[in-house]
Amino acid sequence: MTDPDFIRDVLGIPLESERVEQNLKAYADILQEISKLRTLNLSDVHPAVVFSPISKLEKSPNE
Amino acid sequence: MNSKALWNMPIETISPDIQSGRISPVELLDTLLERINAHDEKIKSFVCLAPNARSQAEAAAKEIAGGHYKGPLHGIPIAVKDNYLTADMPTRAGTKSSVKYTKTDSTCAKKLREAGAIILGKTNMHEFAWGNETPPTRNPWDLGRVPGGSSGGSGAAIAAGFVPAALGSDTGGSIRIPASLCGTVGIKPTYGLVGRAGIIPHSWSLDTAGPLAATVADAAFVTEALVGYDESDPGSVDRAKPDFISALGAPIEGMRIGICRNHFFDALETDISGKIENAIDQFSNLGCKVTEFEIPNLQYGLAAIFAIELASSTAWHDPALLAGMTADYQSDVQTLVEIGRFVTGPDYLKAEQLRRVLMEDFSRIFCEIDAIIGPTSPLTAWNIGEQKVRIGDSDESVLAASWRLTYPWNLIGVPAISVPCGFDSRGLPIGLQMAAPPFKEDDLFRLAYAYEEKQEWKGNRAVI
Repeated sequence: MTDPDFIRDVLGIPLESERVEQNLKAYADILQEISKLRTLNLSDVHPAVVFSPISKLEKSPNE
Repeated sequence: MNSKALWNMPIETISPDIQSGRISPVELLDTLLERINAHDEKIKSFVCLAPNARSQAEAAAKEIAGGHYKGPLHGIPIAVKDNYLTADMPTRAGTKSSVKYTKTDSTCAKKLREAGAIILGKTNMHEFAWGNETPPTRNPWDLGRVPGGSSGGSGAAIAAGFVPAALGSDTGGSIRIPASLCGTVGIKPTYGLVGRAGIIPHSWSLDTAGPLAATVADAAFVTEALVGYDESDPGSVDRAKPDFISALGAPIEGMRIGICRNHFFDALETDISGKIENAIDQFSNLGCKVTEFEIPNLQYGLAAIFAIELASSTAWHDPALLAGMTADYQSDVQTLVEIGRFVTGPDYLKAEQLRRVLMEDFSRIFCEIDAIIGPTSPLTAWNIGEQKVRIGDSDESVLAASWRLTYPWNLIGVPAISVPCGFDSRGLPIGLQMAAPPFKEDDLFRLAYAYEEKQEWKGNRAVI
């Protein structure tokens, strides 16, 4: 599905369809790079972003 | 001592004279302001000068005369990039849109003031740190060329002899790229070493604060002043205060240098290749052991940095996007902020997974070497308005080319420094980049200082 209106709705982009279309063109080269990344099997790798249940208020400076 | 020499002096030379009272901070400030007033109309590196700069200098002079010398930055005028909040000047983050930021000191501005520095003014930057050109700032080495970015105003101000050091911020190369293109030193410290509270965010897990400076020693002085735990920055790390000054002049014989032959040596301008190979030979001649290696996973790095930077930037700008305010941004920045919406959740997380893979790849390398060296940029300063550059046999967009060699170190969060390593055939500066394991800035300063000491262009500024 490449209909800009559909893409706009799915991604929540508050822009006119024409602008969405321009942006999709601008994104094409980046998407090509991201497509390479998608081919990697990284299921066993924990992302570099790590959740911590300790809130900012509970953390001491030395933790 | 004449005033021409004064503007051209690095902090390492001038601070002993300020401490002894031979030079007054007021005299130094006046010399630099005179130079800014004479030349910045054509360079356009500053967006604002501190209205209280003279009273800051007078206060510093009084403190020093009273025996309360604080260290090498005391009485030294330093500029800060326009994305650092300051209490005495407005912050615009390079935008002409209607967003307003509070007038308060960022953590780094506070640290500079605590070290006795005079915050002289705010430097121009690529809007919201999303680009490498910094219009309308011009490169002092060739006014028809860009200074790099996004901290281009800081690089240009140092190259023009307006200040000996300035703060920048680095998300994918924004300190090191202008340092390379403007012939200055620039260091991106380890992620978390320098507190970022009060810097307008661009991409939370990549943004790093640090200085550009005329010499390696000057960069070490400023970095050391900035280090410290920042409770308002969730990425800040609490560590013992490092000693970078002792690394300056320490022997480098026996240090282990790594050369990553893939990615960092792909498609370089010929003059750059030659200067970098010459620098590698110099390290070898200085007694360093040089080892070559490859990291194949770097081929996925561009996707990862784009996914993380685009998604993060768009999340931060979301209120502006929803309010329709992005139409007031510069067109290149507007597009980048809007297209971050196309990065999917799985793409973003996969980028964070790749980041972990690269961290482990380099961690294995860093078990056996002390620093990785190579070029900072595959090209020297390009012409203003140029969109594509020809490097070797292929055309590449300047945006893609200019950060190709710097973003890997943001992805894995390690420190990286750019040091001038000569000029191309057009007289444009070339940068040598060195990266070290996390929190090993002392090794970078040690190596960079030893290299710089052997170069005739140490501390050189452009002729304007």
